[in-house]
Amino acid sequence: MADTYDYDAIVVGSGMSGGWAAKELTERGLRTLVLEAGGPIDPRIDYVEHVQPWQMHFRGFGDRKALERDQPIQIKCYACDEVGHKFFVNDNDNPYTTPSDAPFNWLRGRQVGGRSIMWGRQVYRWSDLDFEANAKDGHGNDWPIRYTDIAPWYAHVERFIGVSGAQEGLSQLPDGIFQRPMQMTAVEADARPKILKAFNGERVMTIGRVAILTENHNGRLACHYCGACEKGCITLSYFSSVNATLPAARATGNLTLRPHSAVAEVLYDAKKGRARGVRVIDTLTRHEIEYTSRILFLNASTIETVRLLLNSKNAQFPDGLANSSGTLGKYVMDHNFGAGAWGTHPGFKDKRTIGNRPNGVYIARFRNVKSQHPDFLRGYGFQGGAGRSGWDRGQWMPGYGAAFKQSLIDDLGDWGFGATGFGESLPREENRVTIDPEVKDKWGIPAARIEVRWTDNERAMEKDMAKSMAEMLEAAGFKDVHQNEDMNPPGHCIHEMGGARMSKTSKEGVLNKWNQAWDVKNLFITDGSCMASTACQNPSITYMALTARAAAHAAEAMKRNEL
Amino acid sequence: MERRDLLRALASAAALSVLPNEKALAAWSRLATGTATTNGLSDAQMALVRAMADTIIPRTDTPSATDVGVHRFVEVIVSEYAKDEDRTKFLAGLDAIDARARTESSAVFAELSPEARGKMIESLESGSRDVDPAQTYWRLKGLVVHGYFTSEPVMKDVLKVVVMPGKFEGAAPVAIKKRPSDVKVPPSGQEAHAHG
Repeated sequence: MADTYDYDAIVVGSGMSGGWAAKELTERGLRTLVLEAGGPIDPRIDYVEHVQPWQMHFRGFGDRKALERDQPIQIKCYACDEVGHKFFVNDNDNPYTTPSDAPFNWLRGRQVGGRSIMWGRQVYRWSDLDFEANAKDGHGNDWPIRYTDIAPWYAHVERFIGVSGAQEGLSQLPDGIFQRPMQMTAVEADARPKILKAFNGERVMTIGRVAILTENHNGRLACHYCGACEKGCITLSYFSSVNATLPAARATGNLTLRPHSAVAEVLYDAKKGRARGVRVIDTLTRHEIEYTSRILFLNASTIETVRLLLNSKNAQFPDGLANSSGTLGKYVMDHNFGAGAWGTHPGFKDKRTIGNRPNGVYIARFRNVKSQHPDFLRGYGFQGGAGRSGWDRGQWMPGYGAAFKQSLIDDLGDWGFGATGFGESLPREENRVTIDPEVKDKWGIPAARIEVRWTDNERAMEKDMAKSMAEMLEAAGFKDVHQNEDMNPPGHCIHEMGGARMSKTSKEGVLNKWNQAWDVKNLFITDGSCMASTACQNPSITYMALTARAAAHAAEAMKRNEL
Repeated sequence: MERRDLLRALASAAALSVLPNEKALAAWSRLATGTATTNGLSDAQMALVRAMADTIIPRTDTPSATDVGVHRFVEVIVSEYAKDEDRTKFLAGLDAIDARARTESSAVFAELSPEARGKMIESLESGSRDVDPAQTYWRLKGLVVHGYFTSEPVMKDVLKVVVMPGKFEGAAPVAIKKRPSDVKVPPSGQEAHAHG
C-alpha cells in the first residue's frame, strides 16, 4: 500500500528561515504546511511604525508595570517598547531556565513572521575566513561547506529580499548584489577616510548593508525613512517573511499556513527511519493534532528547534531525535556584544540629517585578518552611527526660560558618534541547551534550560573593542571619547546559534552539508541551530541562503525519489 | 474636588478594601486631611510641577509646557509608571523643593516671582545632581523636556516632524531661522542660562 501524507512538506516556523523554506519548497511544486506557534500578522492592522509618542499613554516609556509583569526578559530588547512589545513573547507563558550564575537573555517573538518582524535587518555575507575558522584554530568542528558553496545562494537571497549597500572589495566581507546605498551622515563621511589613513587602510567603515529597499522592488516600495522598522512597515520596504517570502509562497497556491500551532514533537517512524510528521498543540483550543509529510523542515529558531528535537526523543533516539552524535544541544553560541566607544564632534554645526535612516555604519572586521592578535582568537565588527543630539540634551542640560527653550528648538546640538562591537564567540561543548526536568510552558511542553557562559577569549575581545573604537574616534577628530567595556549576557545580541550543527561526518554533528539530519534523511534544519561557528557578521542572510540551498537540494532529492 | 481626584479616590477606596485595617485607616486619614492623595500629586505638588514646568519652558511665540499638558504627563509617570519607592522619593523631593523655597523666600515655589524662581533653579542646578532636592529637580526637568517635545502640538507645529520624510540626507545644510523670538527678551526677565 502506498504511503499517504497530508502534505509534501511541513515547515515548523514562519520567521526568517521558515519563510524561505516555504517560498522555495512551494515554488518547486511541493504542497507545504507552515506551522507557526504564534498568531497571524496583518500588516494593515498590526504594524505600528507610525504611532507617534504623543499617541502613547507613556510617551514611549512603556507601561512599566505590565511589561515587568508579563515581559521581564523581553523588555531588555530596545524594540520591546510601548507599542513594539506586542511582537515579543509573554515570558510567563514561555518560560526557560538558566543556572543562577549564567544569565541568558532569550529575546524572541511568536507570530507569523517570527523575529523577521523586528529584526535588525543588517545583512553581511560570510567569507572563507569564517568558514575556515574552526578548522584553523581547532575550536569547534570544521564546517562542511566553504564560501563557494553558499555564494550563489547569497546572490539568490539578495536578489529577492533587496539589500542596499556599498561595494568595498574586502576579502573578509564579500560584496553582494546591492541596491543604491543609504547616505552616510556628514561626520561619518568625514570619519571614514581619516580612519582608513590612521590605520593603514585596514579599518574600513562602510554604510550598513541592510535588507531595506532604496529602490522599488518586486511590488515593495522604497523606504520612506520613518525610522521605526522594528514596528512593521506598511510599504513592505524592509524584508520580513510577512512582507516578502510568505506572500511569494502563497502566490504559488501550494501554501497552507497554520498559526497558533505549537509543535510539541517530531513523530518518528522507527521502521522506515524517517520523520513521519509532527504533533501539534493548538494554542487556542489546546487540542492535539498530527500532520504528516514526506519531508520536514525545522525553522523554529535556534533554541526552539533544539528543544523540539530533545522533546522528540524515542526508543531509538533516547537523547533526542537525530542525536546519534551526542552533539545535539551543545555548542550553542551568540555574538559577544556590548563594548565600544562614543564621542562628540566639535564641527559640522552647519549640517543636519533629513529623514530617519533605519541603518547605521559598519566597520568590517580588522582583527585576526592578516595577523594574529596576542590576546584573543577570531574577530569582531562594529555597528554604530552618528547623529545630532537634538532636544534630548535638554533633559540634562542646565538652563531654563525662553532662550533655553528656543535653543532646544533651533540648535540641533553636537554631533555624537557611538559604535558597538559584535564579536565571534568560540564554540564550546559546555555551552548547551537541555530540557528542564520540571518547568513546562503554558501548553505543557517541557521548557528549555540554557547554559551558556562567556570565556576569557570573549572578555579579552571586548576590552579590545572598547580600545580600538576609541582609537578610531580620536583619529577622526572626536572629543570626549568614552570607552565602554561592559558586555551583555549571552543571548542579548539575539544571534543565538548552534545546537544542531552542520558537520563533515555524522560523528561530529547533527546535519550534513545539505542541512539534512545525518540520522533522519527527510529531516532538514536550516535555522540558526545549524551553525558550527558564529563569524562576527549578523547571521540572518546566512540562514536564508542555507535554507534556499537546502530546499533546492531536498526538492531535487524528492524528484529522484531519494527521500 | 476635580473629577480626576474623585475617580482616584474611588479607585483607591476599592484598593483599600483589600489592605490590612491599620494601613487602610492611615491611608484614609491622609486622604481625608488632604495631606496626601493616593498615587498621584497633591494639589500643592501639582502647583509646583506646573510652575516649574512653565519656568523651564515658558510661553513665547510657541506654547509653554503646561499649554501642552506636560503636568498631566508628569502625573501619569508618577501615578502609573513609577515604582513605589521612586514615587515616594519623588514626591518627598518636590516637598523639599517647596520647603527650601519657603525657607529662602517665605513662599512656595509657585508663588515666587519669576526672578526668585530663576534663582532657585540656578541654585538647584549648581550643586550635585545626586542629592535631593536637586535629584528630584533633574528628574522633573527630564520629564518636562521629554513631555514637551513629545506632545502633539510641539511635534506637529513647532518641530514640524514629518512622519514619512520619503528621503534621507546625511549632510543637509542647516537653515538658520531668524524669528522675532530669537531676539526678544521675555518681559518676565526669564533669561535663559543655557551653557550646555
